Amino acid sequence: MRIVVCIKEVLDPDAVNAYALAGRLEIGDDDKTLTQTTIPRLMNGFDEQAIEAALRMRDAGTDATICVVSVGSDLTVPLRHAMALGADEVVAIEPPSSTGDYHTVAALLAAYIRSHGGADLVLCGRQASDDDQGVVPALIGESLGMPVVAIARDVEAAGSAEAPAVRVTRVTPDGDEIVEATCPAVVTISNELGEPRYPTMPMKMAARRVKPTDVSATDLSLDPQALEPRVVMTRQFVPTVKGDCEFISGDEPADVADRLVRRLLEDNIVRGRSPR
Amino acid sequence: MTDPVVVCTWSAVRDQPWEETEAALTLGRTVSGACGAELHWLVVGPSLDEGPEIAGRHGVARVDRIDDPKLEDGRPDAFVEALAQYCASHPCRLLLFNQNFATRLVAPRVAGRLGVGVVMNGTDIEVDGDRLDVTAAAYGGDTRVVYGLEGPGPCVVALLANAVAPEPTEDAGTAPAATELEVDLSGVEERIRVLEAAHTEGPRLEDAEIIVSGGRGLGSPENFKLIEELADVLGGMAGASRPLVDEGWIDSSRQVGLTGKITRPALYLAAGISGATQHMVGCSAAKTIVAINTDPDAAIFRHARYGIVGDCTELLPELIRAASEAGDS
Ligand SMILES: Cc1cc2nc3c(=O)[nH]c(=O)nc-3n(C[C@H](O)[C@H](O)[C@H](O)COP(=O)(O)OP(=O)(O)OC[C@H]3O[C@@H](n4cnc5c(N)ncnc54)[C@H](O)[C@@H]3O)c2cc1C
Ligand SMILES: Nc1ncnc2c1ncn2[C@@H]1O[C@H](COP(=O)(O)O)[C@@H](O)[C@H]1O
Repeated sequence: MRIVVCIKEVLDPDAVNAYALAGRLEIGDDDKTLTQTTIPRLMNGFDEQAIEAALRMRDAGTDATICVVSVGSDLTVPLRHAMALGADEVVAIEPPSSTGDYHTVAALLAAYIRSHGGADLVLCGRQASDDDQGVVPALIGESLGMPVVAIARDVEAAGSAEAPAVRVTRVTPDGDEIVEATCPAVVTISNELGEPRYPTMPMKMAARRVKPTDVSATDLSLDPQALEPRVVMTRQFVPTVKGDCEFISGDEPADVADRLVRRLLEDNIVRGRSPR
Repeated sequence: MTDPVVVCTWSAVRDQPWEETEAALTLGRTVSGACGAELHWLVVGPSLDEGPEIAGRHGVARVDRIDDPKLEDGRPDAFVEALAQYCASHPCRLLLFNQNFATRLVAPRVAGRLGVGVVMNGTDIEVDGDRLDVTAAAYGGDTRVVYGLEGPGPCVVALLANAVAPEPTEDAGTAPAATELEVDLSGVEERIRVLEAAHTEGPRLEDAEIIVSGGRGLGSPENFKLIEELADVLGGMAGASRPLVDEGWIDSSRQVGLTGKITRPALYLAAGISGATQHMVGCSAAKTIVAINTDPDAAIFRHARYGIVGDCTELLPELIRAASEAGDS
């Protein structure tokens, strides 16, 4: 089974959060990019879990080759990390221009998969933690005519070697749902999959020597129209939260608790009679 | 005349409260007004008793309905094909969805099928000549990004829950009768087979009126019992921030936030939660937020109506006591 895992490099969301929580997140003069240049870039967390899902399939005995692909520039670090984790091949696709959008990215990934060995299974993160869009996997699925199973906590090989399939546990608002899809299929991975593994030291050392296979848009002989962005970012800003918090204090936790409950009763937010 | 703005709702999707439908119709009406287009409402699946009244209240010029046995069980392949056929025969400027578990997948697939632009997490749309400027939440809500989508359309946008307040028009009109439309779904074979359907056990966080949530500040999994007990005394449900789910303290059905549940309770009490935007997305629509945190500068206090600076493991037992006393009186 050939598994292609699509990964995106993003700004560390915890670092972005830390700035936001401290009220210090700022957008630069271009009205688009964050000014905090010290925020590290790393592999999108859900994508790391997508690689983990592929590795678990292989650990479970599935005869799988794992190819990790990313669209972007300067991707050596995240791709080496993928290699150290156990990918068989890592591929960097250079976008034709910086103005591309999700459609451009999806078109490049789909074209790569179509022209470079296909895929029985395409694994993606449920969303990228920078844009939160969660659209690239759906666009890849449509472009390749594959079904898309979204928001998985577990993926297992099913079917047979001749007719591969995957059995996927999805996290739905109504609890877990187990589905089966005939390959080829796209599956998106959610955080419920659990912690991804760390690469071992020898794997890390070995990965240092690896150079990603570089692919350019021209190698993929795509119709330029397919690469036209449809959605153009014009501006980014930091929203303001207006606070009107009334602090409740007291000498002992008991006083504070009494005061708060009295307040909630006065505001009719909780009822005085036992609800049950 | 500009092509119409179409708001699409899907009655098979249970987690689509009327408030959200009305929010989408409110935004749809603003956009259609600004670009001189009509507002249409496309209902997919069984018809809705409340539909005509709501359509009247929001100045909907036309209601279309698509139904087919293949649409009733809520699987995506049939839905995507139905919408693609609809858009092919009814050109529109904008196709607007409410964002929920189902449309998170269906909206981008429809856009992919039609080869048009799509924006998820939408919070607002402005019309600038031929361009739609769609504002969307990014970085879990830390920032907003404005995306330009050039006309003539169509384009697909999913509206984030709680981003727009539902506002009926002043002059409620008469609702147009729904036009039944045919789609041909004979060629659709669902490619994903359900082996085991999801089933909710008990009430859902999304419907709870009172939620008591715990975060990493609880310190240990045992302390989550305090959260459950307080929720119980208040007649509400227990929720959690993501780290507790990731650590396995609590089932993922309790996770509130961007990648968890979007809730809208009357009371949201957050204990030991820092207030990261990814969490707040899931509870900022609460009428009243109460926060307990040892850090007076915690971001959660910016969202809270009432705040307590203190140790939640000390305060929760007292709150349980005080709330049960109030219940007994
Ligand atoms: C793509 C993405 C999606 C995400 N989705 C979600 C999501 O859906 N839901 C979600 O919740 N998070 C989500 N997160 C994680 C989010 O960014 C935060 O990391 C998380 O919400 C923090 O949880 P917390 O507040 O419990 O923990 P922390 O941030 O560690 O905060 C703990 C708080 O407790 C306080 N505290 C410590 N001890 C005590 C005490 N004894 N009494 C009272 N207070 C105390 C501390 O001052 C601190 O404010 C997501 C992150 C990413 C990148
Ligand atoms: N530039 C990219 N290169 C490779 N994969 C990507 C890229 N952008 C998005 N993806 C994949 O699509 C998923 C969803 O991304 P998005 O639609 O941008 O939220 C990510 O988790 C990745 O698996």
